[in-house]
Amino acid sequence: MPARPRWLPAFQAMAWRQLVRFLSARSRVANSLVFPLIWLLFFGLGWSAAFNVLGPAARGIFGGLSYLEFLAPGIVVMTVFTAGFGSGLGIIWDREFGYMKELLVSPAPRGALLLGRLVGDTVAALAQGAVMALLVSAVAGWPGVWGLLGGLAAAAAAALASASLGSLIALSMRSPEGFHMVVNLVMMPMLFISGAFYPVDPLPAWLRMLAYLNPLYYAVDLARGLMYGVHSTPLPLDVAGLAAVTAVAVAAAVARFSRTYIA
Amino acid sequence: MWCPRPGITCGSGTRRRQHIGRALVAMEYAVYAEGLRKSYGGVEALRGVDLHVPRGTVYGLLGPNGAGKTTTMGILVTLIKPSGGRAFVAGYDVVEEPQRVREHIGVVFQEPTVDRDLTAWQNLYIHGRIHDLSRNEIEHRARHVMELVGLEKFLHRRLRSYSGGMIRRFEIARALLTEPEVLFMDEPTVGLDPQARTRVWEVIEELKKTGVTVFLTTHYMEEAERLCDTVAIIDRGVVVAEAPPEELKARLGGDTLYLKTASPAEARRLLKLAAGYGDARLAEDGVTVVLVARDAPRLLPTLLQEARATGVSVIESRYVRPSLNDVFLMLTGRSLRDEEGGWSDWMRLHMRARR
Repeated sequence: MPARPRWLPAFQAMAWRQLVRFLSARSRVANSLVFPLIWLLFFGLGWSAAFNVLGPAARGIFGGLSYLEFLAPGIVVMTVFTAGFGSGLGIIWDREFGYMKELLVSPAPRGALLLGRLVGDTVAALAQGAVMALLVSAVAGWPGVWGLLGGLAAAAAAALASASLGSLIALSMRSPEGFHMVVNLVMMPMLFISGAFYPVDPLPAWLRMLAYLNPLYYAVDLARGLMYGVHSTPLPLDVAGLAAVTAVAVAAAVARFSRTYIA
Repeated sequence: MWCPRPGITCGSGTRRRQHIGRALVAMEYAVYAEGLRKSYGGVEALRGVDLHVPRGTVYGLLGPNGAGKTTTMGILVTLIKPSGGRAFVAGYDVVEEPQRVREHIGVVFQEPTVDRDLTAWQNLYIHGRIHDLSRNEIEHRARHVMELVGLEKFLHRRLRSYSGGMIRRFEIARALLTEPEVLFMDEPTVGLDPQARTRVWEVIEELKKTGVTVFLTTHYMEEAERLCDTVAIIDRGVVVAEAPPEELKARLGGDTLYLKTASPAEARRLLKLAAGYGDARLAEDGVTVVLVARDAPRLLPTLLQEARATGVSVIESRYVRPSLNDVFLMLTGRSLRDEEGGWSDWMRLHMRARR
């Protein structure tokens, strides 16, 4: 008779599964790198050239940074954030292909199963983020080893938050189409109002309020502060805000999964 | 205070005695259910299902598509909440202690539930870990269960390269990895070609020797007849009979003989003769006598001789031994085969898929 399953083996197995799947799915890796790279090259270099017309005045808009430096941390965070949402897609596929039932009839604690999956996906997203961080550093300017690691740490929290949000949406949706629709509806505004592409400070108050609810805003501000020394919110506040919003997202996803009865 | 199992709370007074009584009954069986009900938005899928599955036997839930087999199994494996009634699996209440139930069962669902991007070994490893087996235990047992289903050579292949029949056998192996007390299988051979089906049957017959309790659902009567020690016939959300297949067939009163004569007058004479051997009647064509009686192979020559002696010429004769389909027909007035692949099933499946 098997003993009451412990938390750790299930957590570890699920995280391991996500990493094995990640390593064997090269198209997914490429996909999540290509999209931000397109932003960096065509959006970043384009605007960078446009702002250069203004000369040094342009740096005033971006807290003393060139536009590429301003954009670079945002691109790193954006990479892991979009990759993190893929976690939800994994849940959708698991349900479509029946694997979700295999998990639901196992005696493992639901929290361990979901957290293992979220952490596995976060690590995978972070690997992509690291590649992207090196790429943008080459284009925008070397932020130093500690700056790079700090930026990645902020990105990791953002990945965990987006993986949780993606999972929450996936668990609440019946069809893959519905998932894609809702994700686009949630992800695009979150990206735009994160301060990754333009500063949030000059925005109207109601938009700024939305930004402060956005985990991505804290992640981008924190990453930019750590990488290039420019930020609009005090860094401890960024850390607290990011931790709080991420914790809420994780807790909501685990609660939803614990209530999931049939796939 | 004595409790039948840790985890089953005992109340006080009469209620406690009742509770213990019921729990004790439940303990005798690997699966025990009484009055299981389930309704989906006002539509009753189950209308009071009772099940008694003795430990160490193969038990089949037989019925047409849409009869409630999958819903019943969903409740027993703790994935569907019943609207009413109680069920115990391995002695544990499926609603009160789903976690304990999950520790003691293995499940093979109707559709594949594997990760096709991973190898068989990787699938087994994850399965073992989420059931709290150590890596050593998993390695040791993986070899054994893969041998049991004849897939030991394919342990390190990705499941993407497996055929449908291999996947089904692999899922049986995976379910057995944790040495469950009860193995649930929902339509284990549906969608398989005849060869693959035979392989799965052989595996289940092999399991009989190991003493594990097997609970399977099927709409193939050949499957139920070949594999099951006990068959429960389910129709429209109710179990209409529960007994060994032979006993169910015996309820039909024996074999059915058909004797066709040349004229209605001869048929009537033959009817009188046949009535002495069993339950006889005239078929609708007016010239065929239908007789239900025991041991048709020996009875038929005798009957033909006697008919000749009384001047009745039988121009055609045949007999049919009863099948579970006839039992189903007797109990529900409909044929199991009629239900197979009919448009109503298609509609039902289609609508379920959309939900």
